[in-house]
Amino acid sequence: MAVSEVMPQTSPVSAMTPAEQTPILELRHLHRWFTKGRQRIPVIQDINLSIQPNEILCLVGESGCGKTTTGKMMVGLLEASQGEILIEGRNRQSYKGKEKSLLRRELQIIHQDPFASLNPAHTVEQILSFPLVKHKLVKNRAELRKRIWDLLTLVELTPAADIVGKYPHQLSGGQRQRVSIARTLSVQPRLIVADEAVSMVDVSIRIGILKTLLDLRSRLGLAIVFITHDLALAKYFAWEGRIAVMYLGRIVEIGSTRDIIANPAHPYTRALLSAVPEADPLITRRKKPLVLRSEDIPKLTDIPPGCAFHPRCPFFQPGQCDRELPVLSPPPGFVQEVACIPLQGDGTLTPYVE
Amino acid sequence: MADLFSTTASPTGFLIGCICGLIPLIVGIHYRKFRAGIIGFIACVLSGFACGLLGGVPMIIISSAVVISYAYVNREDPFAMYDYAQTNDAGAAALLQENSREAFLRGLAHFGDRVRRSLKALTRNKAGFIGFIGIMFFALMTVFGPLFIEYDGRIHMERRAEGATSLFQGPSAEFPLGLDWQGRDVLSHVVYGGQSLIMIALQAGLIATLIGFVFGAAAGLLGGAVDQFLIALSNFILTIPQFPLLLVLASLVSFENPFYLALLFAVLNWPSLMRAVRAQVLSLRERDYVQAAVALDLGLRHIILNEVFPNMVSYVAVNAIFSLRSAMYAVVGLVVLGLVPLREPDWGVMIFMGRQQGALFNPNASAMLLAPIIAISLFQLSLVLFTRSMEEIFNPRLRSGV
Repeated sequence: MAVSEVMPQTSPVSAMTPAEQTPILELRHLHRWFTKGRQRIPVIQDINLSIQPNEILCLVGESGCGKTTTGKMMVGLLEASQGEILIEGRNRQSYKGKEKSLLRRELQIIHQDPFASLNPAHTVEQILSFPLVKHKLVKNRAELRKRIWDLLTLVELTPAADIVGKYPHQLSGGQRQRVSIARTLSVQPRLIVADEAVSMVDVSIRIGILKTLLDLRSRLGLAIVFITHDLALAKYFAWEGRIAVMYLGRIVEIGSTRDIIANPAHPYTRALLSAVPEADPLITRRKKPLVLRSEDIPKLTDIPPGCAFHPRCPFFQPGQCDRELPVLSPPPGFVQEVACIPLQGDGTLTPYVE
Repeated sequence: MADLFSTTASPTGFLIGCICGLIPLIVGIHYRKFRAGIIGFIACVLSGFACGLLGGVPMIIISSAVVISYAYVNREDPFAMYDYAQTNDAGAAALLQENSREAFLRGLAHFGDRVRRSLKALTRNKAGFIGFIGIMFFALMTVFGPLFIEYDGRIHMERRAEGATSLFQGPSAEFPLGLDWQGRDVLSHVVYGGQSLIMIALQAGLIATLIGFVFGAAAGLLGGAVDQFLIALSNFILTIPQFPLLLVLASLVSFENPFYLALLFAVLNWPSLMRAVRAQVLSLRERDYVQAAVALDLGLRHIILNEVFPNMVSYVAVNAIFSLRSAMYAVVGLVVLGLVPLREPDWGVMIFMGRQQGALFNPNASAMLLAPIIAISLFQLSLVLFTRSMEEIFNPRLRSGV
């Protein structure tokens, strides 16, 4: 495993947070489906997740696997079709009135497209002052100014005086994404869902924004759910945290980033990891990509029975994978939880022969 | 009393304008921006002269704001001071403190700046600017024309030329647009005849826009049963052939008060705008910034007024102008067919009477018949051209000029 140079220094302390702490957010048997005519399209199926305060969790998967839907449900922009969302051990539905609006503020989302997430009609100053004024987080105009200045400095948009009067279209993509981060921070959230937060930003400034996010996490004690399709980014960003790999609306593998990167278990995770490009051409040439049996992702309207990955899986076991629905549990020889039936048997995989 | 709010030039209006103009003048002298102050004074005098208090009072605010925006343009921004101070201590925080008078002036300056930018945006698009000049021409003609040209409403038998069979006359030095069938000066009728027509069209356009916007926003944002009902209602109205209905109604009801006519046009005109607004709202409400506002718990009122509306202003304004246009055509159509009470002076009545009195077959009457037609067409053309500028004025991207 080649560690690229951008990898942060790892600390010897285990990344896992103590289990007895109350999770800030917990998803229990969460389902979400959309109806199209009489057809029901399942987007999220039976997701169980818990996020501790100050934790980093990466949701990784192909486009269409339900990452964004999960993120939107976490912050309450989408209702769950079935299942429970617990916030600090209490069901979301039980929050009413003032508590509910406070709760809404504590869970924030950063959108993927910085060009669409800022209203073109307002200046940066207005964008940042709306939530501060609405929720009476500042007492007077001087305090408002100071808060805006602080927020812009916090996300490293300096000098703040040059930024405040500008309209979004006068800023670069990276600057806009920083403004959008500042806006989420204005309401003092405890959990931020970063939905592909850097995928629309130039590669050269991605690391800067990720570093800012990590820095904010350690300074403000935020929990961050980082949604991405790029395992290399997940590796960099969540080195201290956990990764959950999603496939067609289900989590197929979840565990600490180190374990998953060092020793991927599920065939899908292995395929994703083997597809990550390395900076060193020698390594890339030596690396054997895991060839899937099919490139096509099955349609959500027609999810294969049993393990949804079996039509593409190079380790497909007929009669086993296409019958039974795998559940998440650590297979022998692995630390992380994996949903793969052959692996859970003896911890090894045998290639499929036709 | 009527003079205070009149829409034609009057001595009372002139007095009001002069009094109103003193305010931007004093503000200009206070900030040593003499040129801006004098321009503000002139603007106030003109608008007060034209529309009395209705024109003078808004112009005080606009021109004062513009003058203040000149004075504030190079002023130190509190933010810049904070950056210079480079610290978070109490001294720097004091720099950020601003009393409410300062804040009010800053807000006014911001508004004035927007007015200036809008004026700049107005001149940027050539076609739009030509349209603006056209509209201003007709507005000034209707408002200030009566000061110079007297309305000619009597029959002038003595003007009949030697050996002529009618009173019609072509253009001459004395009567630039000729004489009509009663020997009256056509120019005076053109100058006086636009007022009622433009007024009805304006009322109809504004009312239709208001109904269309409110219903469209409600249908788009609330959805469900409200949406279904409003869509069904608009479908119903859209399927009615409008002009035949107007013909039938006009022959049954006598529209003594032109405002009822405007109301009728508005009621028939709103559905198309409502559909456009609804479609726009449906698209805008799914935008990421609206979602972000929901996540920040900013409330429905904020979302409608601050997130959705600013991005629709240009759209609504352009549609308002289009509905104003169609209302004007409809009024002229009814008048030309003689189905509403005729009131002189009116461009439509000129066409109707010209046709009645045989102007179509009289070569001497061509000027009399063409004058109102050209006036109506030019006004319509100006409106259409002006919509181009509307887009530039209300689009923040184009307005800020970067």
